[in-house]
Amino acid sequence: MRYPRKRAVTAVATLVAGALALSACAQGGGGGPKTTNAAPTRTQDAQAASKVKVGTAEDSKGPAAAEPGATKGGTVNMIDRDDFTHLDPARIWLNYYMTASKLFTRQLTEYKLAQDGSLTLVGDLATDAGTTEDGGKTWKFTLKDNIKWQDGSPITTADIKHSFERIYADFTPEGPPYAEEWLLPEGKKYKGPYDGEHLDTVEAVDDKTIVFHLNSPHPDFNFTVAMTGYGAVPKKHDTKEKYDKMPFSSGPYKIVSHVTDKSMDLERNEHWDPATDAIRNAYPDKWHMEFGVQALQSTDRFIADNGADKQTLTFHNPVATERIQQVVGDPELMKRTVQGLTPFTTFYNINNSRVKDVKVRQALISAFPMQQVRQLQGGELGIGKFASTIISPTVLGHEPFDLYGQQTKPQGDPEKAKKLLAEAGQPNPTIVYAYNQTPTQEKVTVAIKTGLEKAGFKVVTKPLNPATYYDAIGKLDNPYDVYWSGWATDWPTGSTAITLTYDGRKIAAQQPNYSHFNDPDVNAAIDKASAIVDPAEAGKAWAALDKMIMEKAPIIPEFYQSYFGLYGSGLGGVKFHPVTGEQYPNDVYVKQ
Amino acid sequence: MTAPFLSVRDLTVDFSTEDGVVHAVNGLSFDIEKGTTLGIVGESGSGKSVTNLAILGLHDPDFTSISGEIVLDGQELIGASRRELERLRGNKVAMIFQDPLTSLSPFHTVGRQIGETYRKHTGASRAKARQRAIEMLGRVGIPQPQSRVDDHPHQFSGGMRQRVMIAMALVCDPDLLIADEPTTALDVTVQAQILDLLRDLQEQTGTAIIMITHDLGVVTSAAHEVLVMYAGRAVERGTVREVLGSPRHPYTWGLLSSLPRLSAPVDVPLVPVRGTPPSLINVPPGCPFHPRCDYAALAGPGLCGQERPELSPHRGHGDACYLTPAQKRDIFLEKVKEHL
Amino acid sequence: MYRFLVRRILGAAMILLIISALTFFLFFAIPRDPAAFACGKLCTPETLEIVRRNLGIDEPVFLQYWHWLVGIFTGRDFTYGHCDAPCLGYSFVNQEPIFQALVDRFPTTLSLTFGAAVVFLLFGIGMGMIAAARQGRPADKIASSASLIGASMQIYFVGVLATWVLVDQLQIIERPSYTPLTENPLQWFYGLLLPWLVLSIIFTANYTRMTRSSMVEQLGEDYVRTARAKGMSARTVFLRFAWRGAMGPVITIFGVDLGVLLGGAIITEQTFSLHGIGELSIKAVINQDLPMLLGVILVAATAIVLFNIVVDAAYAFIDPRVRLS
Repeated sequence: MRYPRKRAVTAVATLVAGALALSACAQGGGGGPKTTNAAPTRTQDAQAASKVKVGTAEDSKGPAAAEPGATKGGTVNMIDRDDFTHLDPARIWLNYYMTASKLFTRQLTEYKLAQDGSLTLVGDLATDAGTTEDGGKTWKFTLKDNIKWQDGSPITTADIKHSFERIYADFTPEGPPYAEEWLLPEGKKYKGPYDGEHLDTVEAVDDKTIVFHLNSPHPDFNFTVAMTGYGAVPKKHDTKEKYDKMPFSSGPYKIVSHVTDKSMDLERNEHWDPATDAIRNAYPDKWHMEFGVQALQSTDRFIADNGADKQTLTFHNPVATERIQQVVGDPELMKRTVQGLTPFTTFYNINNSRVKDVKVRQALISAFPMQQVRQLQGGELGIGKFASTIISPTVLGHEPFDLYGQQTKPQGDPEKAKKLLAEAGQPNPTIVYAYNQTPTQEKVTVAIKTGLEKAGFKVVTKPLNPATYYDAIGKLDNPYDVYWSGWATDWPTGSTAITLTYDGRKIAAQQPNYSHFNDPDVNAAIDKASAIVDPAEAGKAWAALDKMIMEKAPIIPEFYQSYFGLYGSGLGGVKFHPVTGEQYPNDVYVKQ
Repeated sequence: MTAPFLSVRDLTVDFSTEDGVVHAVNGLSFDIEKGTTLGIVGESGSGKSVTNLAILGLHDPDFTSISGEIVLDGQELIGASRRELERLRGNKVAMIFQDPLTSLSPFHTVGRQIGETYRKHTGASRAKARQRAIEMLGRVGIPQPQSRVDDHPHQFSGGMRQRVMIAMALVCDPDLLIADEPTTALDVTVQAQILDLLRDLQEQTGTAIIMITHDLGVVTSAAHEVLVMYAGRAVERGTVREVLGSPRHPYTWGLLSSLPRLSAPVDVPLVPVRGTPPSLINVPPGCPFHPRCDYAALAGPGLCGQERPELSPHRGHGDACYLTPAQKRDIFLEKVKEHL
Repeated sequence: MYRFLVRRILGAAMILLIISALTFFLFFAIPRDPAAFACGKLCTPETLEIVRRNLGIDEPVFLQYWHWLVGIFTGRDFTYGHCDAPCLGYSFVNQEPIFQALVDRFPTTLSLTFGAAVVFLLFGIGMGMIAAARQGRPADKIASSASLIGASMQIYFVGVLATWVLVDQLQIIERPSYTPLTENPLQWFYGLLLPWLVLSIIFTANYTRMTRSSMVEQLGEDYVRTARAKGMSARTVFLRFAWRGAMGPVITIFGVDLGVLLGGAIITEQTFSLHGIGELSIKAVINQDLPMLLGVILVAATAIVLFNIVVDAAYAFIDPRVRLS
């Protein structure tokens, strides 16, 4: 999902506006906030998060499981920093837009979020989570009865076929790339359905049955189509470029007004039938959304909890860094917090084409002062949990392991690193560390340099311009040894966490394999894991691959990023969603 | 014998500043009668302007202490209320300043500036004040006053601007006109015109004039009596003929010697008063002029440096110097006159 | 006067043309492809080409600038829709014509600016006058130190603090929001009250100091002494003579401030979630939205240039020595 770059750039811009200057001061005193005993109402611990499974047809039947104590009616307010730039599903690849779309866009599949935070992939418009008979090359979905558009007309397989064809149109370059690549027949060019040409690979067998013929097996394609990017768009009401401003609802709400950057209002879509929907509860009658509210402002409003702000939540705004201490110290406030691990993991790439000795790479991981790095960035609630794997705990099949003592000695283990360097015969290797030149990263870099030097490394630091950071590290012949980046899985299976980033055959300029890791055994294992159809079995295979890769130490895992947010006291059913990594709207209700 | 029209007695003006107390005027006394002009001469810093601002009560009371008496036509001005002073200013006592360009408001028309003085003191209507302004502009010799009345000061030449200033000063027929260096900023031909104008107007109205100047030439042509000031004190006083014809004070000699003369041979050098004017914060004891005086030794050992000489005699041609009348006459005739 | 205006307006148009050209070419000088930004994390060269074409940045820069200029007078057609004249381009982030976005946002900025201007002029000039009239006395010292404190304040600090205290805790002021004046004047007033006050704090300080020093200077002028010497009361001298002279410098900085504020009060708008030109400009920078960036820069430049002309005209009105020729 588009998540990392956007965040990085916006952070720089906010800094320009001066807002971060305050948070830098607030954090300057040292030490991350300490967690008190007061627990948030909905914590997502690593164990629960890793519970991802594929549901049955029974699981896919509506209505959705009721939220205890929930009542219908009222208006829920949503405040956040940014407006939704895109509402056309085919143009959505950012978690924040996905969250909003859950209110008015349905896909073939969707996740059911249980009270314990576990996820079940179920049919949304489809009667189940899809079936494949040939190891994931051909996928069949059957549409439910009584599913309707906001004008009361039925949602048909023609609409679904159209939705998948229009992702090829020139005006939708922003969406996810998966289906676009997998559904394109070999050697064919396709520019969307608007000039009368259609894709045979998306086959509407009849009004209810649709079959996808992929050009290679993808056993988790049913997870892929759960992305908002593959949401349904009505063939009859497709306004092409203009659809982005005013999408046609297939969900419980429809947009009644949207003023760019200011506000958006939703009302009930009477043609949505709760009996067809296993996921959405749709308790409130209306949604009122306001944009342009910075994190500090929304935090202060939630803390004050006055008037209409009681019935207010935010999708994305986290608790402002300078207020984390206050919130954590107040048990009453903690009751109104939402927290959990996002699918976003961060790590330091080791340039495997320069640092070729695996012992030196392992020494880098052992020596890395992760605790100091985290304290400088807001501590556990401000940034996340220490990572020691590639696959995040939010992913199906995640197996925790800690090969280099990153969980037990997060402050770094220079002795162990020295031993490894001695074994490698390079007691004082020189490491070029490139970093994004921001005030926070300047401080972090000092901590990293100090930590690594304790183990005997000679560290040369190279500041990079934030605007061109990714371009610089994306060059195959870049002159750096270690550099930071992040990755968010688009759906919670191991394939999205590993195939694009550690498959040595996909090394190319400006592609996500920033560490240039290429290991024939790993490549073969990736092919093997990709072919496993059973989700649980596949999960195990990916977890094993995770460990196999980490033994070769291509990266230094940094954090499983966390989300920590607040909401108003007048709302119930506010949950954290582990796939979007922010607050989840579908079970929210106004307390009576 | 009747009291003089304006009588100043023992006037002392001190300013408090961050550096200390400035003794700007120290025990000054003089009289002036209606219809006459008193010239007050002296270097800058001698207290001329301070004296006259004191008459109008224009010093900032927060930083100034004034003592002595200033009696104008029987009215004591020191300690008069602000309201009394405001009623007096521009009405019974008017003032003309040195630089008419900066002294007139650049933002208002001349007609308005003249008229508002008139309205303030007579309560006349706007139209009447305007009529009066035109009349005054005519009287001070501004051609086509009807068409110039709505002009702004910057649209006039230097001399015309000073005429406007005079018109404004005389609009309420004041009994006393204080002219502070009225011609200094003007060129020579215009100077003469302005002085003529003042003389003519004085003949018509009988106004008393105090003419402050550092230019003895102006005094010669415009004043009846002269007061020479030095370091806040009067050092010589008398009629123009007395003071300029047979000056008695060494400082007056110095002033006269420093005047350029058209009749003098080109090779005779100007003799300025040597030294610099004294600090008014630490005024020298005794005669304040003695550090610059060539003849202090003649008055007797140390005398000039010890005690302050008083102006004597009290009436007529008086001076404040310890030299004997004979010494003064001899020195003037032998050493000074040749330079004049 | 007429010739003055014509000449100045022509000059202003020239300046705006130069600014737009500079912005245009400098934007393309930065080493970042706006298309890559819109393209996402798995951007193929083909997709990049499509995005470039959609953004209208596949042509040479000079041609793009020419199209942009012509579009102002004739309107333009984009793949995303038609843009009527005056067309300042089309924002692919906001998906609307730039001119429309600016027209939507401007009333907020205008209300914020003028309301705040009334407050800071009133307080700034008032306090400056009092300080000048009471030079060296307690009132002067209070006003001077208050202005020093005010000048060292930061909006994002005062704004957040004031919101916290007045809106969240005491609840005596409404949460800042913008309601059009024409829709509900009372709501307009209440909604903008806090931003006005906070924005004013910093400016008030400036005006207090400027008014005070300029009044003190004027009070020492010869013509003020003349006014007193002709019997004008202290009050008349202060208000009619010295004040008029003192307003020159104040008007000059007021013109500049007004121009800058109309270009968008970025921090104030962010602090109070107001949707004005300032918010638009910060977003344009974040999103590398060139057409929008050009639009907001032109608004700011126009405001500054325009108020420069107004200031010069006002100067001539106050001080007849200044000739408009």
